[in-house]
Amino acid sequence: MKNTLLLLALFSLPVQQVYASAKEAYKIYLNDKTKDKNKEIAHELIDGQYYFSAIPFINKYLEENTKIDKQLEDDIETLVVRTGTMAVLNLEEKRLQQFNIPSINLILGTRLFQKEKYKESLEVISQIPSNHKFAIEADLIKGSIKDLASLNAEALAYYRQCSDKAIRFESEGKYEKLKRYYTYLKETCLIREARLEIKNKNYSKAVEIYDQIDKRSYKWPYTLLEKAWANYYLKDYNRSLGLLTTYKSPLLSSYFFPEAEVLTALSYYNLCLYDDALVVVDHYYEFYKPKAQALKDILNTNKKSNTYFLDLYYADPSTRENLNPFIRNLITQTRKQVKFNLDLASLKNAKDELALLKRLKSKNDFTAQLEVNLDETIQFISARMNYYIKKEIYQFITDIHRHSYSMFNLKLELLSQKRNQIYRPQAKNQRDRGDVENINRTTSQYFFDFNGSFWADELGDYSFALASACVENKSEEEKK
Amino acid sequence: MKTIITTILLLTFSSLTLAQDKKNDVVYKYKDYDVIDLGSLEVKGEIVAPGDLTVVEREKKDFDKRLLEKNNFDLEIKREIENLR
Repeated sequence: MKNTLLLLALFSLPVQQVYASAKEAYKIYLNDKTKDKNKEIAHELIDGQYYFSAIPFINKYLEENTKIDKQLEDDIETLVVRTGTMAVLNLEEKRLQQFNIPSINLILGTRLFQKEKYKESLEVISQIPSNHKFAIEADLIKGSIKDLASLNAEALAYYRQCSDKAIRFESEGKYEKLKRYYTYLKETCLIREARLEIKNKNYSKAVEIYDQIDKRSYKWPYTLLEKAWANYYLKDYNRSLGLLTTYKSPLLSSYFFPEAEVLTALSYYNLCLYDDALVVVDHYYEFYKPKAQALKDILNTNKKSNTYFLDLYYADPSTRENLNPFIRNLITQTRKQVKFNLDLASLKNAKDELALLKRLKSKNDFTAQLEVNLDETIQFISARMNYYIKKEIYQFITDIHRHSYSMFNLKLELLSQKRNQIYRPQAKNQRDRGDVENINRTTSQYFFDFNGSFWADELGDYSFALASACVENKSEEEKK
Repeated sequence: MKTIITTILLLTFSSLTLAQDKKNDVVYKYKDYDVIDLGSLEVKGEIVAPGDLTVVEREKKDFDKRLLEKNNFDLEIKREIENLR
């Protein structure tokens, strides 16, 4: 009984603190006539963990004032951590440029990057101190700007700084969620390093870096395709095919990339296995054409809705079962995106906050105003998430069309090669399928015997063992 | 009238008989053999078309059907920053 009381007391403590802070905020709302009124209300609300309720007051203060003291700087930083970019949502870039604190610089720099104003973005982001907690993201953005400008050495330096800092912050992090976020940033920067190595044609080095990504990581399935490209350029087409086959595993059924199909066909093409390549090309059109049409239909029918796609996410399993399996998988893929998860957490927190406000005993015009604001914020987050899913679907359709063009070109090339084969009747078209001799292995790669192992352990380590038909054709010509 | 027609017919027949007799007088004589020296033959003029039966090889047209390459990850970089927070 004593323990129960103690637990109840412990749980009720934050709630009491929350009520106290809301009360304090109300007092300031009534009595404060200074220009700092909105700032102080926001501070009290943040103190009481009413993060989303505090947003309009912070925005209003920043619209009217340019002075940011230490307390406000800390409050904005807390809001950025808790609510993301929504902290200064209503403020235009021109206005944001008048402030110079790391949290606002990060938001402004990201916005300018998205508008492809890279020079301005770099200037703003560079003002974030190198030891600040936002420095990891700052290095990532700086590296991206240099990368896009093909200043590879500078980009690599920023990416390395980014992953080093992320490793340090990850080990020092107190909360599991925060640690996971730093792991995500570390892996993002590592992948960027690997991509730069591909850009610099250091393909073996790129593969080594990709191998550092843990198989349990959220990022790992995405690296398979990139690693397959690195192996493709190393002319290890069998390894490339093996990596792409991983996507056929039931565990990765929600990951499908049109680009992976193109690379599969290209790998067969380079092994001169034209019939196999043609099968992949034909399958692409058969498989993706109706899918693209189904997605287009669903987009057109619900383009004006602000909730349809988000509702699909929340739909119960039976409703989701009735959906086209492709759309269901695409939604599953979106659910695994970090951005979507952050927004999802924000939406849940905002809803909890509204519920807390509604439970307050003493209602007044201030709490009514807070409720209206929160309601709008919830609607905004929902619409943003809905838009996010919609955008993902749209991008997917675009990818399908973009790669259809690549497939078309490849098919022309394949038909041309097939015609050449007909004019070269001596060329041996028959070939044995698979031989250990055709597998390139490094010292760290070995044959999996599956004894006492979980069957998914070998995912991402497959290799085909096909002999190149090009070699056979060549040897036939040599014999002549 | 009868006399006139008979006279015309007689004249026509007599001229035909005379012509036939003249043709029979022509004697055709052929050489027993003839030698043609192809090397000494000379033809004057300009060549306006290829003399031999040949097909001129046309230059192979390479259509612009570039295969997919992955030289950069610009698209992925932009999308990642968009989804940072």
